[in-house]
Amino acid sequence: MRSEIARRQPRESAAERRTLSARPASLSPREWGTSWVFVPALGAAAIFQVVVAPRLALQGVYPDLVLLLVIGKSLLAGRHDAVVWGFTGGLWMDILSGGAVGASSLALMTTALLTGIGHNAIFRRHLFVPFIAALSGTLVFSLVYVGILNIVGFRFQPDLLITEIVVPVCLYNGAVMLLATPLLNRMPEKADYP
Amino acid sequence: MREQRGWSGGNLAVKFTILALTAILLLALQQTGRLGTLEGLVTLVTAPGQSGLSSLTDRLSNSLTNLRNYRNLQQRVTELELITQGLIVENLRLKEVERENQRLRELLAFAETRPAFELRGGQIIARVIGKNATNFLDVAMIDLGSRHGIHVGMPVVNEQGLVGRIYTVTATTAKMLLITDPSSTVNTILQASRLTGIVNGAPGSDPVMGFIPQGTEVGIGEVVLTSGMGGNFPKGIPVGQVVDVRQKDVDVFQEAIVRPTVNFGRLEFVMVVTNFDPFESVPLLDTLPAQPVEPSEETSEE
Repeated sequence: MRSEIARRQPRESAAERRTLSARPASLSPREWGTSWVFVPALGAAAIFQVVVAPRLALQGVYPDLVLLLVIGKSLLAGRHDAVVWGFTGGLWMDILSGGAVGASSLALMTTALLTGIGHNAIFRRHLFVPFIAALSGTLVFSLVYVGILNIVGFRFQPDLLITEIVVPVCLYNGAVMLLATPLLNRMPEKADYP
Repeated sequence: MREQRGWSGGNLAVKFTILALTAILLLALQQTGRLGTLEGLVTLVTAPGQSGLSSLTDRLSNSLTNLRNYRNLQQRVTELELITQGLIVENLRLKEVERENQRLRELLAFAETRPAFELRGGQIIARVIGKNATNFLDVAMIDLGSRHGIHVGMPVVNEQGLVGRIYTVTATTAKMLLITDPSSTVNTILQASRLTGIVNGAPGSDPVMGFIPQGTEVGIGEVVLTSGMGGNFPKGIPVGQVVDVRQKDVDVFQEAIVRPTVNFGRLEFVMVVTNFDPFESVPLLDTLPAQPVEPSEETSEE
């Protein structure tokens, strides 16, 4: 009898584990990376990006709000969640605005991989980590995005592209991220540091 | 042991690969024109939200501008009153001219008032509900689609001049490529010197009119119009004004920097020129009827 219980015990815990993994993801804001609330939330952010962000233009460039959200997510929750956010946010951006569908997704996912390095127990709370993540993330996003657009037939002049768009956007996004850092530091953070 | 659930856990490389492949698949589907229905469905849902947010932002922006200009309003009102008095007198005179003009038109059996531009077909007014999502493309979305008779390639104008052309259409929305986008090309002509060229968008700066033949001086301030060549745009629509000229004797062509007449920063309403048939390609030479080549007398004399 005792051996039968012993045999049944691991079977039950495996079933319990299966139930746990199959249960629907929580809708609490703390688990936005695993619930589906982030899909319409990123859609709303993309609508804000195509309607309002162009009005915040300085010297012809404006901040990439969806990109900054993905970078913020990568700092707070790591690469796993941020990659999914990048994929979803990119699709919204491409569908709502022009460009090639999928290009923003690939660029944002690559950015999330890079900026996810900032999700680190030792230096995550440093003031300059979000700023540097915004600068480097914008640069990587720009390079990947322009590269994909080039492949599908859009043409750019490299020198003008760098001086007139990439550098100013990096600085603009960096400045916005710097302003948003106090807010970012108050957000719930996943403590699964590598 | 850490609990791993759904997309939150798992192998990052596998997750990234799956999502990247999905994105590439979507990219391929869109490039081959098989994603139109899905895009249409999504924009059908989001367009009302975009439209609402757009009008709210417009109102907010206008209120802020009015607030900022409040100090100058008193002075401006006095100036405008003076101008209005002058305009009332001029208006009376113009009404008389209009009546006379109308009588002359009837005498000449004009069927209808002919606009200054050679636009074929009607125009329908659309509202700009979204602009570029990224800094690298100059595109805008309007709230009219194939349901309203919008087709790919149709030119888009506003009261200031040429805006761009339609390049993607869903049932209820359409996206237009603005003339400031680096991928946009417009065949143009300089109004005074009659030199032709091609206006290309430039990233982050004013468009450039290239392929202007050397030998004739291009004047600063000269008006740039669509030439009608290439068949993409109707002839005679204002594109911009020359603000700078880049001329080097060693170059085959000269270039001019063109400041667009359209204020793209405040683009709210546009008109889509319908019934204009743009054609992208020219007929192949081998399909043309063969013509016997006989040199004329003048040519042989030369």
